[in-house]
Amino acid sequence: MLQAIIGGLTLGSVYALIALGFNLTYTTTRTLNFAQGDFVSVGAFVGLGTVGVLTAALGADAVGYVWLYALAAVAAALAMGVLGLPLYLAAIRPFAGKPGMSWVVSTIGFGIVLQSAALSVWGLGARMLPAPFGDEVFRVGEAGFRSQELVVLVLAFAILGAFDLAMRRTAIGRCMRAVALNRDAAALMGIDVPRVMAMAFLASSALAGLSGVLVAPILSASLFMGVIIALKGFSAAIIGGLTNPRGCMAGGLLIGLVESLTALWSAQWREIMVFLLVILVLAMAPNGLFGRKLVEKV
Amino acid sequence: MTKKKTASTNMAPARPRLTALLGAAAAVLMSAAVQAQAADPIKIAYNGDISGSPSAESGQIGVLGIGAAVEDINKRGGVLGRPLEFLVRDDLGQPPKAIQNMTDLIDREKVSVVFGPTNSGNALAWKHIANQKRMPVLVSSASSTAITEGPSSGNYLFRVSMVDREQASALLAYVKKNPEAKAVGFFVETTGYGQAGLKDLEQIAALHGMKPVSIEKFDARDTDMTSQLSKAKAAGADTLVVWAQAAPLGHLVRSMEKLDYFPKVFTTWAASFSGFPEVAGPKLMEWPVFLTTSSERKSAEADSLFARIGPKLANPSMFWAASQAYDTVLLWAAAAEQAGDTKGEAVRAALESLNKPVAGMVKTYDKPFSATQHEGLTAADYHWSRWKDGKVVDFNDPVLAGLQPADFKK
Repeated sequence: MLQAIIGGLTLGSVYALIALGFNLTYTTTRTLNFAQGDFVSVGAFVGLGTVGVLTAALGADAVGYVWLYALAAVAAALAMGVLGLPLYLAAIRPFAGKPGMSWVVSTIGFGIVLQSAALSVWGLGARMLPAPFGDEVFRVGEAGFRSQELVVLVLAFAILGAFDLAMRRTAIGRCMRAVALNRDAAALMGIDVPRVMAMAFLASSALAGLSGVLVAPILSASLFMGVIIALKGFSAAIIGGLTNPRGCMAGGLLIGLVESLTALWSAQWREIMVFLLVILVLAMAPNGLFGRKLVEKV
Repeated sequence: MTKKKTASTNMAPARPRLTALLGAAAAVLMSAAVQAQAADPIKIAYNGDISGSPSAESGQIGVLGIGAAVEDINKRGGVLGRPLEFLVRDDLGQPPKAIQNMTDLIDREKVSVVFGPTNSGNALAWKHIANQKRMPVLVSSASSTAITEGPSSGNYLFRVSMVDREQASALLAYVKKNPEAKAVGFFVETTGYGQAGLKDLEQIAALHGMKPVSIEKFDARDTDMTSQLSKAKAAGADTLVVWAQAAPLGHLVRSMEKLDYFPKVFTTWAASFSGFPEVAGPKLMEWPVFLTTSSERKSAEADSLFARIGPKLANPSMFWAASQAYDTVLLWAAAAEQAGDTKGEAVRAALESLNKPVAGMVKTYDKPFSATQHEGLTAADYHWSRWKDGKVVDFNDPVLAGLQPADFKK
């Protein structure tokens, strides 16, 4: 049980990061980045590449060098964050605020381009990113854990907490909340709305890239791994409430736990239970457990 | 009149010259046409995944093997005096694309034989096309049992590769013979690959009178199988037969380590794909025992082929994929030479009654196929293998040494 709870919270915290990314773009632009999964996968490979280049250059062993992993995480977050800008400019900006759903296809298309380009660089296979604190199993009673599970858990919670704080206490956070609340009023108050929108995409893409590096030592990096993580992250955002960042985080943890605890009973029912939960929540609370009803003025 | 006559007179001697000239020209043209026809290459093709799925690794290596065989055959004068021209079609691991490739190769490119594919699902998607259009197919990679099961009207699919049912037969023969295996559990993916494998395992276990104490399934994307393993452990399984692709198999042994539960693990050739050692890591990758068609190179020819294509292989331990593919070309070429023709019916008939042994990379094929048997390799030809120090090596133990043909139930 303890194993299942830790495992569930670990993956759940990654879903929460992705869900937060969906929340950022949705509240500021009313659009979603459906290429989020590809940003997770490619982010993992950017981290892997960074570690590879640095270990080759320094002749060092990646295992045990925490700073190498930290650099890889920063590189992935930066690279994916920077890629979030062309995504915003090419796939979102022309369609944001306009009727229609063109941005759905354009973000999916951007993801396909990203994945195809990455495939030509890194190929198809799964690769393990060395865990910074080693790969040994340590035991608590009958349960066994790897250090990376705790690293993910601690870091993801720290990042979620920092984001929550930043959104409430910093100027850019307040600007983002203002744009999320009322774009026109925010513009009248002198907030550069397109810039804030671009920032939202930058932050959400950076979170996805960082998530990729966090989970790569556990799941193994593959250019196909991001799709399911992003889908669960999206489900987390829907369950928690797409408009509520804390709700998105809670949704992620809930999905992770449901998934993990269901596997104790029957692994084949895991996905079924997750999506039954999504349907159940939507039936009872269409805006998610913590979401608020949106009033669109026309 | 005079002019006409003169002209007529003048024309008379010109006719035989013109006729002779036209005749000579026709002869030259015919000769050139015959020569051109003689030099016309025979088109052969690979239709399989070389980029779209993790299995594409075996497709890429298979293409290298076929390319090497084509090079060798062309050096010794081709087939029926004609050089081979090798076309490669990537099916991206998608059945619709594979079907499209197949019809294009047969109807537009007019190929004489198709090799591949990489994925069993794709072979099953287009095998009816090959049979209807009488196109010989030599399967060089896919392993699903049903691929070579053909219609009574004519089965054009032959295989030089692993066969799922033969693998199940070999693995369970070992488990049955092993006195230390007191309780066996089956672990399979929920993919078509895993489900078909489970069906074969259950049927062959029944032939042995064996009943697994635990049957557990997992998604190919799963990375934590501790819950399923806990159940197998609680059921007392001391031996697991696993049917999974490379990366999930890696995650399975990592999950075993988390539970400190290390039953004997027997599995398929998927363990030799690079995804398994990459995920499992250097210590855990040495745990499972699995089957390949050539774990270690044992001939000068294989060494020579490895010297040519080995540097292009990201995972040299998958050299077997090149060996199998190389052998499929040799077998088809031998059949075409024996038939004196490259037409589908003639080649199929010749393949089913090859009158000379063909020395291949995996083995020497002495009458490998018949009208009812289209498998070039069977359980007895497989190599028991394991990873050791980063290489796939032979696995040997007293149980294996004691296996008799009668132990392989099918």
